[in-house]
Amino acid sequence: MPTEESENASPIIPANPVVVVQGVGHLSREFMREVGSLFWFMVQTLEEMVERIRERRVPFRAASFFRHCERAGVGSVPLVGLVSFFLGLTMALLTGYQLQRFGTERLVPGLVAIAFTRELGPLITGIMLAARIGAAFTAELGTMQVSEEVEAIEAMGIGPLRFLVAPRMLALFLLMPCLSTVSNLAAIGASCLISRAYFSIAFVYFFDLVRDALLIRDIVTGVLKSFLFGLLIGGIACYRGLTVKGGAAGVGTATTSSVVTAIATVIGFDTMYNIVYTVFFPT
Amino acid sequence: MSTANSYIAELREVTMQFEDKTVLDDLSLKVRPQDRLVILGQSGSGKSTILRLILGILQPHEGSVFFKQFEITRLPRRKLQRIRRHIGMVYQYSALLSSRTVRDNVALPLEELTDESREEIDKIVDEKLELVGMKDSKHLMPSELSGGMRKRVSLARALVLDPELVLFDEPVAGLDPVMASVIDELIISLSEKAKVTSVIVTHEMDSAFRIATRMAMLYHGKIIEEGEPKKLRESKNPVVSQFLTGSTEGPILEGTKDAITA
Repeated sequence: MPTEESENASPIIPANPVVVVQGVGHLSREFMREVGSLFWFMVQTLEEMVERIRERRVPFRAASFFRHCERAGVGSVPLVGLVSFFLGLTMALLTGYQLQRFGTERLVPGLVAIAFTRELGPLITGIMLAARIGAAFTAELGTMQVSEEVEAIEAMGIGPLRFLVAPRMLALFLLMPCLSTVSNLAAIGASCLISRAYFSIAFVYFFDLVRDALLIRDIVTGVLKSFLFGLLIGGIACYRGLTVKGGAAGVGTATTSSVVTAIATVIGFDTMYNIVYTVFFPT
Repeated sequence: MSTANSYIAELREVTMQFEDKTVLDDLSLKVRPQDRLVILGQSGSGKSTILRLILGILQPHEGSVFFKQFEITRLPRRKLQRIRRHIGMVYQYSALLSSRTVRDNVALPLEELTDESREEIDKIVDEKLELVGMKDSKHLMPSELSGGMRKRVSLARALVLDPELVLFDEPVAGLDPVMASVIDELIISLSEKAKVTSVIVTHEMDSAFRIATRMAMLYHGKIIEEGEPKKLRESKNPVVSQFLTGSTEGPILEGTKDAITA
């Protein structure tokens, strides 16, 4: 029973405020260190790429970049499309029934369109990419790290960051906005079907309503957010992969941690982005 | 500080710690041009650490490491990467990129670091694979090769940029006796024909004495004996003679021996 356990455990909880403060301090220091390393990891990747370009050479093979694009981008379209489609259906249905009581079901198209382009599209896509692609990147790079492949690349005089990390991060960075667009379209399409079937809103009228409701800034916000999320997911996944320690178990732990960190970071940054956005650009 | 240095590689008073354990303790070691220096020592005594220090992959806690006149320990990353092109490394477990074929693995340094055309790269790759007797396996993936074959491919990869210094981490461990001799002869011919200097870390005594022009024995973080193979064979140091004969009687197992024989 949880209550008994907590009662039993209570004597060893450090009641001394100094210990608590110390604990909090220790945790925040670890956290800040992680954030710092991740930041420098990304900066160094960029630096290696720039150095390479200055030598008038390509930072990585186009083939490798496109392979990651295909896997991360094209391969994710069905999942992102399907999940967003169902979310769009549900959202239109639930809000529609509530709004119908006040006779305002005409608001559904605009509601779904704004919610997805500004918020849910990038967020849902980010979460799905973190789970689908972030995990794959971490596991892949982690295994390479454990089997000394990364060290061998470094030993040859090839920068592992630009060679391994850059194409992956760039692929996610560039494809995230495309995938959120897919997500938006799927959700809007779904709500269009629901509006027609349950609330008798004709297709043409539906798109007029969407166009009236949607502002350019909603779309720009969503796209900018997507770029940011792509960069974060790619950065976290590759960082976790290259810092794996301790064999197969280490790869497992790193992969879990990569997905958890990436999802939490995406949601955290989304909130921060929204706060900053509403403060500086009030509607 | 780049002082003129007639050695290919040099470790000066290097101390290396992993957490609380001191692996290398004020160690100095010089590698002269065209040496075939074999480093002997127990497992976990820090032999591979020496190789990684020369490559600049690990940084010592104290002391400095030189490659020719360059102080590896002080070079910025970009220069270090340039230096590494002159050093080849053969890993104990090969460290081939598992997602690339044998050909692509060997071609990788050429593709990334030189301006050679595809035809030239193919030519060089063929030549190096031929040298290690792996030309027929060009299109196989590393997972389709045996340990010994992987090691040979790894050697071909290390040689592909014509390095001045090649570092071998257990080059013949896990190879059959014939293949081991082939690799040994290859290492010898590299230094005789191509003037390559090699540093070899190994446990195999036969192979060590066949290859070495010089030997160094690493024990408790220090080089306790160094010189020509003959000098080590005749060494009065009890640790060296115990290690060379593989006897269980002697100072190496002191303290742990009771637990083993009990």
